[in-house]
Amino acid sequence: MAIEIARPSKTSLIVSTPVMPAAGTVGFGDRYRALIHFDKLGAIVTNPATIEPWRPAAGTRVISLDAGVLIHTGLPNPGLAKVISQNRRAWERLPIPVILHLVGTSLDQTKRAVELIDDVDEIAAVELGLRDDIHEADAVDLVAEAARLEKPLLARLPFYESYQLALPIADAGADALVLTAPPRGTARDRHTGRLVSGRLYGPLMKPLILRLVGRLRRQLPDDLPIIASGGIHSPQDARDYIEAGAIAVQVDTATWAQPKMLERIARDLGGWIATRQRDALPDEWNPDMSHTEAIQRRAADAGSRRDTKEKQG
Amino acid sequence: MKETQAYIERIKRVNRGHQRLELAVDQSLSAMLAGQAMLVRRIDKDYDSEQWDPYLRELWFPVEIQARNIVIVERPARAQFLPGQLLSIIGPVGKPFRFRHNLRNILLIAYHTTPAALLLMLPPLLAKQVGVTLVLMGSARQYETGHLSEEVEVIQADDDLTWPDMVMTLGWADQVFVVVGPGDEWGYYREILRLMRERQADMPTNYAFAVAQREMPCGVGACHACALNLRGAPKLPCVDGAAFDLTDLPLN
Repeated sequence: MAIEIARPSKTSLIVSTPVMPAAGTVGFGDRYRALIHFDKLGAIVTNPATIEPWRPAAGTRVISLDAGVLIHTGLPNPGLAKVISQNRRAWERLPIPVILHLVGTSLDQTKRAVELIDDVDEIAAVELGLRDDIHEADAVDLVAEAARLEKPLLARLPFYESYQLALPIADAGADALVLTAPPRGTARDRHTGRLVSGRLYGPLMKPLILRLVGRLRRQLPDDLPIIASGGIHSPQDARDYIEAGAIAVQVDTATWAQPKMLERIARDLGGWIATRQRDALPDEWNPDMSHTEAIQRRAADAGSRRDTKEKQG
Repeated sequence: MKETQAYIERIKRVNRGHQRLELAVDQSLSAMLAGQAMLVRRIDKDYDSEQWDPYLRELWFPVEIQARNIVIVERPARAQFLPGQLLSIIGPVGKPFRFRHNLRNILLIAYHTTPAALLLMLPPLLAKQVGVTLVLMGSARQYETGHLSEEVEVIQADDDLTWPDMVMTLGWADQVFVVVGPGDEWGYYREILRLMRERQADMPTNYAFAVAQREMPCGVGACHACALNLRGAPKLPCVDGAAFDLTDLPLN
């Protein structure tokens, strides 16, 4: 199966299954190689990279919430040039396309990043992360600058500004939209008593972002693919996003809790989409139904059809 | 590093605050060494999580490893576990502690936390007749040690974090491992380092180690949420730890 997850422009971005880890989930290269079979996925999105090196955030990074977590890492990375040099070989070995997540900082830094990335064949596409509270004009400028890339450009929108930014970003040259970056929140660290801000993850993100994906799908041009990201913890969660109009999904923190779930979602969604297109039996791909059950069900269906024919005959 | 399944074989209350769980684990985990840990999640038979609270995997340090692939961990008594409970384990996480070849005496310090992260080293060190002293500071003094080997000297520090013969204990130790509770981690390490520097003019490298037991969302070095801003480059406790030279921490 081949699914084109970015608007065909300079080059295309085709994946075999519409499931990938979200930025920040599996590292820059193949850190998860012992726990995940990358060949079962559609692509990998790297950790966020910046032109200059960024150090880890000071203080509390992780706050456990009821059925979720707040994380503030500070997006540590050794700078884009080192990210490329340190991971190029790993990317080359990966059997799936690599999508580099570039943090949208300034116009100048984006320009420098474009020059660096265009020479790297191992990078199949770029996902530009737009910061929260960004002004529409700044976001448009950043996307237009990044769109000079000879590679497909995915723009990841900030949660709270998604409705406002989606159309201008699409017009500025994004080949696909990633909806969305995890929403920001604030929670109290019970150990220090301090309030900490960071990104929110957990199953509760899905209903929020699912609604957003559905509404934006109706507003955006049909040829602009939407990749949904947020709160996916099961194959059904991923199917819901596809039904809402997404062409692919990104799985985030569920990967940390259950690495194999990423593969399971990929297998289920890949199969579901393939069979849906051919009007085949979708339940066969449901991981909760064994092959034996599916075969038995088909045999029973065939038997009842035969009985009906015999009666009619 | 593998993701494997285990189950709780037995549960034993060891003191008022803690219980020990005997886990039947995959063979790969029975080769763990002191300093290495596991990321654990409770699951049902279909690999699904029984609940999303806690959302992330918990970091469990083994305290003892027995034959027949049995790993023993120590958990708070208030946490509810049942024999037969299935677990998903990612591990081993981190690198083993590095001990000096000529190690004769070792000092272990637990400050505002249980010493569980340090206990796996006890059986092999005691077997080699290394002298072990465990100092409990702050709220760690509530930790009852009756179940530990009698060969371990246990010292309860005073409120000002000192104890009688402190100079002698520090001078006598060839290596020191310190584990602190969550919250003001750096502040706790700073206090310990100050105490040691006040009593030792020279603080060599590879002498005192901080044992990081931070939240590790991924455990494989991907998320960088556990990263430590050490002198030089940042380090990841889940990959490079759990022990880091105390003098490399940016405590100033």
